[in-house]
Amino acid sequence: MSRPVSANLEIRTGKDGERIACSACGHGLAPAGTPWKRHAALREISMNGAGGKAYTGAPEALLRQFSCPGCGTLLDSEMALPGEPFLDDIVHA
Amino acid sequence: MDPITFSIIRHRLFRVVDEAVITLKHVSGSAITNEGHDLMVSLYRADGSLLMGGVGFLHHLTSAAEACKAIIRRFKGNIHEGDVYLLNDPYTAALHTSDIYLVAPIHFEGKLVAWSACFVHVYDIGAMNPGGFSPDSPDIFTEGISSPGLKLVDRGEMRQDVLDTLLNMVRSPEMVTLDIRSMIACNNVARDRMVSLIKKYGHPTVDEACATLIEQSEKLLRARLSELPDGQWQSRQYMDVKGETAKVCLTMTKKGDSLVFDFTGSSPQSKYALNCTKWASLGGLFAPLFPLLCYDITWNEGVIRPITMIAPEGSIVNCTRPAPVSVATVGAIQSVNNAACATIGKMLAASEKYRNEATAVWHANHFAVFMFGTSQRGGLSIGILTETFAGAGGARTFADGVDVGGEIPNPISRMANVETMEATFPLRYLFRRRLIDSGGPGKYRGGLGMEIALTPHDAPDGGLHYVVSGKGAKYSMSEGLAGGFPGAPNRYVWVHNNETAGRNIDPSFALTLDEMPARKEDISWGVFPLMGKDTLYVGWNGGGGFGDPLERDAEQVRVDVEGRFVTPEAARNVYGVVTDAKSGAVDLAATKALRERLRGARLERRAAE
Repeated sequence: MSRPVSANLEIRTGKDGERIACSACGHGLAPAGTPWKRHAALREISMNGAGGKAYTGAPEALLRQFSCPGCGTLLDSEMALPGEPFLDDIVHA
Repeated sequence: MDPITFSIIRHRLFRVVDEAVITLKHVSGSAITNEGHDLMVSLYRADGSLLMGGVGFLHHLTSAAEACKAIIRRFKGNIHEGDVYLLNDPYTAALHTSDIYLVAPIHFEGKLVAWSACFVHVYDIGAMNPGGFSPDSPDIFTEGISSPGLKLVDRGEMRQDVLDTLLNMVRSPEMVTLDIRSMIACNNVARDRMVSLIKKYGHPTVDEACATLIEQSEKLLRARLSELPDGQWQSRQYMDVKGETAKVCLTMTKKGDSLVFDFTGSSPQSKYALNCTKWASLGGLFAPLFPLLCYDITWNEGVIRPITMIAPEGSIVNCTRPAPVSVATVGAIQSVNNAACATIGKMLAASEKYRNEATAVWHANHFAVFMFGTSQRGGLSIGILTETFAGAGGARTFADGVDVGGEIPNPISRMANVETMEATFPLRYLFRRRLIDSGGPGKYRGGLGMEIALTPHDAPDGGLHYVVSGKGAKYSMSEGLAGGFPGAPNRYVWVHNNETAGRNIDPSFALTLDEMPARKEDISWGVFPLMGKDTLYVGWNGGGGFGDPLERDAEQVRVDVEGRFVTPEAARNVYGVVTDAKSGAVDLAATKALRERLRGARLERRAAE
């Protein structure tokens, strides 16, 4: 039994209770109803050039890519300046 | 009330608005209105609450309701049949001074029964820069005429002294007159059709239908919200002006059948004109909410009731007088709109039932370049490059965003053709086309924005000038969804061809920005010349992408490269697709290996703030 948290994350019930898990591989990330991004693999690249030739913006702007530590599936991305907190999206348990 | 009569009256209300919009467009002489559709017409209840939201810029539906209420308060006891009121003060209800509301009471047998309201971005408002957008205005006092409410038409008679006073403070008074008369005509049509409707069915029946319609909308939206998961979703937008960065922060919380939009954490109000007032922020968040959550629900007061907004006073989303706001519609309001679109999209994506209604952010960055100068016919020519309305669609959970697909907050936005623009201004287009790589990469790609290059042509003064309020040249604003990249940012380039005049440089034959050999200066804020051989290049944002670019169908990436939607470099580096150098076909084995390598590179370290 699972409930979606986003297009590629879901809440799964297991022996540890309800946890947010990668929809692709089932890797558990965090307890349901809590921020999950700090448990993901993070890669930060400059927005400048990130998507191709038209990405001419400020080099200091970062594209944060949060991926599943289990399978490498890209779970979410956000643009941020250095030092900004993560955008936390929470679906209540 | 029997459902058949209710449905007929509901349908007639839609048609009242539609016919009024057509009238507005036919009478107006401004390209921004009848080509770009920078307009809005809606109907309101006798107390000023929204009854039937129309098409056009949806930011205005709630603000015009507040305008009606402000007029009711100010003119209580002195509102008569045939009156028309003007209001454009952003600190009372409007978005910025250029967007004038004309609101008119609708009476039946001597009783006030409803209001109609409309707006256009008038040709000029007497601000420090022609056309109204004044990036360097220091306060509201330099942003032109600003009225918290005046009576323009009294019992069917134009108050000529009032009109003449207004026209005495604007450039091109004949064009502004046409704008105002187009709105009067629009309201007249709305009033006549409403009166016909009431005559046919009787006021008690129509009034009951209107009340029922509002109750129905509230009930339907609350039911929809109840089906969506409880939670909170966040978004953050950056805007850059002259080296300063401002941000709009949003936490949207959904609990049960209500939504709270909290902008706590947003920057303090700016000294630059990209601020917006609280009414503007409210309109900004409703602009995506209406089409994304209420695509099958009538847009009225019932939709507003389940929604709460928190906008800290003195912040960029709730500035205090006399902060400048002339750029608000493409500044803080648009960022509010983008942030609301992003959070609503994420909430919808968290629901299996509604996931296919989710979208990444569309056209997050209007560029709103206003040209002004002497036209090829010797008169004054002021107006916007209507390409600003030609945004790019955000990707959906099942499909790419629409290239040059428009924008969420204005379902009928569009751009004029090149010939119309060249007939309006003394300039010539070197090119206008989709901008390669501008769509946010993802499993489904964001739609592409465009690029244009302009140079003077047949200009009596040798050219003209333009106003740029491009706060999004440093940071992408079209957020992606579920891993999809944001769309590309905007870019504005002044190509100094005049400096190379002695070298026989003629930009007329340049097919790309790279082919222009002269000095290129990136610009974004202020007034600039387009004189002699100067060229203005504008490239604008694509929509946000959805999902992992490494999961995009490799064959589709090949098609993107072939069609010049995506460069071969981006195909390889971002999408991980390798093509055969000779045949152009996808090398499946090499693609698989590259994608595995790129995916592995993501796992280098765990996130920790």
